[in-house]
Amino acid sequence: MSILPTEFRIPRKEILTRDDLAKFHESEAYEEFLNFIVRLNNSVKGLPLSTECHVSQVVQHMLEVLNTVNSYCDEIPPLHNKQSRYGNPAFRDFYDRIAKNADEIHENLLLPQAAIQEVSRYFIESWGNKKRIDYGTGHEANFAVWLLCFEKLGLIGPDDHVALVLKVFQKYIEIMRNLQFKYWLEPAGSHGVWGLDDYHFLPFMFGSAQLTGHKYIRPKSIHDTDIVDEYSKDFMYLACIKFINSVKTESLRWSSPMIDDISGVKTWAKINEGMVKMYKGEVLSKLPIMQHFMFGSLIRFEGSGATLVAADDEEDEYNHIHVHAFGQEFPECCGIRVPSAIGAKIVAGQGVPRRLPFD
Amino acid sequence: MGLDLDACISQLLQKQLLAESLIKEICEKTKELLMRESNVIHISAPVTVVGDIHGQFYDLIEIFRIGGYCPYTNYLFLGDYVDRGLFSIETISLLTCLKLRYPERVQLVRGNHESRAVTQTYGFYTECVRKYGNTNVWHYFTDMFDYLTLSVVIDDKIFCVHGGLSPSIHSIDQIKTLDRFREIPHEGPMADLVWSDPDQDKDEFAISPRGAGYTFGGEVVKKFLHINGMSHILRAHQLCMEGYQVLYDDRLSTVWSAPNYCYRCGNMASILEVGVNGERFFNVFDAAPENDRESSRPMASERLENVLYFL
Repeated sequence: MSILPTEFRIPRKEILTRDDLAKFHESEAYEEFLNFIVRLNNSVKGLPLSTECHVSQVVQHMLEVLNTVNSYCDEIPPLHNKQSRYGNPAFRDFYDRIAKNADEIHENLLLPQAAIQEVSRYFIESWGNKKRIDYGTGHEANFAVWLLCFEKLGLIGPDDHVALVLKVFQKYIEIMRNLQFKYWLEPAGSHGVWGLDDYHFLPFMFGSAQLTGHKYIRPKSIHDTDIVDEYSKDFMYLACIKFINSVKTESLRWSSPMIDDISGVKTWAKINEGMVKMYKGEVLSKLPIMQHFMFGSLIRFEGSGATLVAADDEEDEYNHIHVHAFGQEFPECCGIRVPSAIGAKIVAGQGVPRRLPFD
Repeated sequence: MGLDLDACISQLLQKQLLAESLIKEICEKTKELLMRESNVIHISAPVTVVGDIHGQFYDLIEIFRIGGYCPYTNYLFLGDYVDRGLFSIETISLLTCLKLRYPERVQLVRGNHESRAVTQTYGFYTECVRKYGNTNVWHYFTDMFDYLTLSVVIDDKIFCVHGGLSPSIHSIDQIKTLDRFREIPHEGPMADLVWSDPDQDKDEFAISPRGAGYTFGGEVVKKFLHINGMSHILRAHQLCMEGYQVLYDDRLSTVWSAPNYCYRCGNMASILEVGVNGERFFNVFDAAPENDRESSRPMASERLENVLYFL
């Protein structure tokens, strides 16, 4: 039985420096999160998506919540705008609708009233970045943390794990695919051809768990389009391959050499083991991703406190602070309005750590 | 025996990698050349301006097919030669050789990906290890990146940079005083020039959602052009579906030269041809046909480091 925190709080970023990240890797929060992912992973070994499983009341409500989110996506058409560069600005309306209705959405989930703001923050962050109109594995991790919150609050337990992956997570991925198609979300920090996927990680992990021990489908079967088409409705991994085939104009060998390489591994069990190791190495150990990981009272961690000094990159409002033009012998006001946090940093001088930028 | 650049260029045009020792020599020589260049290089039209390439080597070759080969066409490349695509080494090797062979006709500006920190995350480092078996080539190139210029001015009228403007730079002369021979810092004017983006919804500078550089609006652009007596800002750095984007009453253009970015985005690309009277023509193109050919894939023996997770 988990001990409930006496006070909930809105999650915030705590990891800024390499030292913070190292400290996080030693923390209980890290242990808890990784453990949760691994338990979800292990719960679906050998199970296709069609597996009949126990769906508790909370899980049922979660699925309804996801349907609501999906209906927002249906109701908010992409804007036709020639000025639009890539990501469609209608995504911002979608994001705002979730943020605005977050409390209401969370009403039916049997959460303690006081916990709603903390839990819903992870939910809001699960869909991508509003300003950049992008999405990546960090956002995906927020969805997993959202699920973990319910477990920490004792609202779901090990009996629900199969349904969390095969129903809830699967539904989340389906919605994400809709969003990626509809609003042209830019892949956040994509490694291009040198990464596993432009957007996701966990469906590859859970998907390889599902295929573990499968009688006929082998890792190399991903090159057989008939198998991929036929079985993508049963196995997340194959659904990912199908998605890649549908969006990439080039063959898998060309557009995703890593997935191609992995298809040479002998067994799904090995792939699944590798996926867990790789998640630790390529997601949970990457500073640019983990700098955005959030902590509250349920998933609790405190960094060095450097995040409190660093400017919040989500900040929008600004006041006029005078900036002195670089290279001038005598400081002279530029007359340019700059954001307050930036001004504060300029005043404070160099040496303040800051988050790694997105590109 | 001296360095035979023409031989290197024809080898690279066939997409064959140069020997490690040759890369070392080429990077050393290029550093000496770049060291003498100003932070702001003044050039004259006609010139063809190229945006982000990101290791899409076949599309770079397509650019030469469309825009003309060196030295018959003058080229200004606006940075982001490496990362994400499959052939960053081939791309940067070719561009470096062209710069060294035709220093007056080829200009290479630094992009935010011409950096040790960024290339370690986004593919160039991995590619070097995969194709050469060690990190030497990555060191040679990233050391050379520290010498790339930050900006170019065409006919005293068009200011060209990878990202955009900086709140600490009002006059182009201020760029000239920066100490650019270093890794791109996290903040300050040098970071801003390679990281900033225009934002149509704002007039002034604002925090960039990228977490580096700033976003800047129409008023900032107007003021910068006025102070410096220029008419246009030309930059790259952002994917555009149509291959280019023109903003702020034709005061700023973005040129993007990686078609079907990451082999998935389905976008067009363009190069911008600037004529002798300052006229600008976006020559739009689609992904090169070679991208489809199975044989163009790197050898199967070149395994990704990440596959170690699965052994």
